[in-house]
Amino acid sequence: MELLIQQLVSGVATGGIYACMALSIVMIYQAIHHLNFAQGEMAMFSTFIAWQLLQWGLPYWIVIPLTVAISFSGGIAIERIVIGPLGEAAVLSHAVVFIGLYAVINSLASFIWDFTTRPFPSPFGAGSQFGNLISNQQIGMIAVTLLVLALLYAFFRYTRVGLAMRAAAENPTSARLAGIRVGLMAALGWGMAAAVGSIAGVLIAPIVFLEPNMMLSILLYGFAGAVLGGLSNPAGAVAGGFAVGVIENLAGTYVPVIGSELKLPIALLLIVIVLVFRPTGLFGRTIVQRV
Amino acid sequence: MTALLNVTKLSASYGDFRVLHGIDLTVERGGVTALLGANGAGKTTTLRALCGMIKHSGDVVFDGVDIARCATEDIARLGIAHVPEGRGTFIALTVEENLRCGAMTRKGRASIDDDIERAYHWFPRLKERCGQQAGTLSGGEQQMLAVARALMLRPKLMLLDEPSFGLAPIIVSELFSILRKVNEQEGVGMLIVEQNAALALELARQAFLIETGRILISGSVTEIRDNESIRAAYLGY
Ligand SMILES: Nc1ncnc2c1ncn2[C@@H]1O[C@H](COP(=O)(O)OP(=O)(O)OP(=O)(O)O)[C@@H](O)[C@H]1O
Ligand SMILES: [Mg+2]
Repeated sequence: MELLIQQLVSGVATGGIYACMALSIVMIYQAIHHLNFAQGEMAMFSTFIAWQLLQWGLPYWIVIPLTVAISFSGGIAIERIVIGPLGEAAVLSHAVVFIGLYAVINSLASFIWDFTTRPFPSPFGAGSQFGNLISNQQIGMIAVTLLVLALLYAFFRYTRVGLAMRAAAENPTSARLAGIRVGLMAALGWGMAAAVGSIAGVLIAPIVFLEPNMMLSILLYGFAGAVLGGLSNPAGAVAGGFAVGVIENLAGTYVPVIGSELKLPIALLLIVIVLVFRPTGLFGRTIVQRV
Repeated sequence: MTALLNVTKLSASYGDFRVLHGIDLTVERGGVTALLGANGAGKTTTLRALCGMIKHSGDVVFDGVDIARCATEDIARLGIAHVPEGRGTFIALTVEENLRCGAMTRKGRASIDDDIERAYHWFPRLKERCGQQAGTLSGGEQQMLAVARALMLRPKLMLLDEPSFGLAPIIVSELFSILRKVNEQEGVGMLIVEQNAALALELARQAFLIETGRILISGSVTEIRDNESIRAAYLGY
């Protein structure tokens, strides 16, 4: 029983990270209708920036907002310089650009910080609560992801900019006719996705350790979450991310053949199963359109 | 006083396929201009070109500003609201969110809220559906939403592409009385494209007849209406 609870808690904690990645993926997918493979690398780079700032002796409470701000600007820059000019280019052009981005960011990080695996200090300290049932790090991960998700929800639901972003993503032509700056909204979307990714990276780094390929599997789980929940539905993607975290942990613990080595194929398996049987995802909204 | 909208030698093409061949057009301040013509004549293309939605050349002066090379969103920000062919509904947003999108260029929450109430007053059907996903509205309801959304911009000029499309006759006459009210009380200029020529000419003071991308006839509505041969040949009533 205690093992089960522990596994559930740790599934929810890592699931929150997947949920953040899934949400970044969906935010960009909604804006440009392409999957950004480089999302994980962007988050990894942000995490390295946070680590560097910590190395320079800045305290955590400055490092986090600074990292988020730098990532936000970086996301905007990537959209303005690389993605925006692509416009309505074909799927393959986008794929090539994303792979290019992936490679560039990955090698840049390796070049600056090399391949050494580094420990990343937890912002929440080492201890644990409720008789070792849940670590401080896990509590922190869950609390921060829930906070981030709630803030994003409120932003998109209740602010004008949030509404403008949704409108621009859904119907760019009509949005322009309403005076909405569609390009700027896309850039904002990239900035926000990068910022959310940076938080996910910093939260998961104390667990997976810091190195240029740290986000590879996280991104795959994020994709699994996004596909499971439905690429058309941000809330579904978040739920999907949490679900993937829990499934991953329970399967790793209770299905002997899977163990910790075979966890990653589960993500892949999930993606394939969902795409075959329910391409819109479990919570994918079928948006009604009359012609 | 110059005209609100002054278009000279407007040409437009889709790719290499030229559709408009140098069109001249005006909308007076506070005036309503009807743009009439057969299917495929280039009416929708004209409105699209005016909003910078497609490749075009020629002069377009709106309210003293040359907008020929402006981006669509900047043209909207200058006060031109376009009710597009196909309605342009934000299908995943609610009806009320659609209306708020229409007011995106404006400041002042209170006056926007007032205008939403005004839209609901004019189109009670939209009020009943205010929290509903706009994609689930019927075609006619979406047409009302498109007009209501354009009005939310508080435009100086409205470009209306077949605003009566798909509406029941009673709703059409309500819609036109609303447009008349907006035009007369607020001085909003209108460029209106309509299949129902008789209806458009009731509202308009000036009319332009377009055929395969060229203006064939233009003049005051009385002139055009009184000309039997034009009426029989082009207006079909
Ligand atoms: N997106 C497009 N690509 C290529 N050609 C187009 C496109 N849209 C319209 N056309 C062509 O341009 C011409 C004018 O079309 P337009 O839509 O302006 O006509 P219209 O006067 O609005 O007709 P209707 O009364 O049927 O709405 C037509 O011959 C049409 O085939
Ligand atoms: Mg048309």
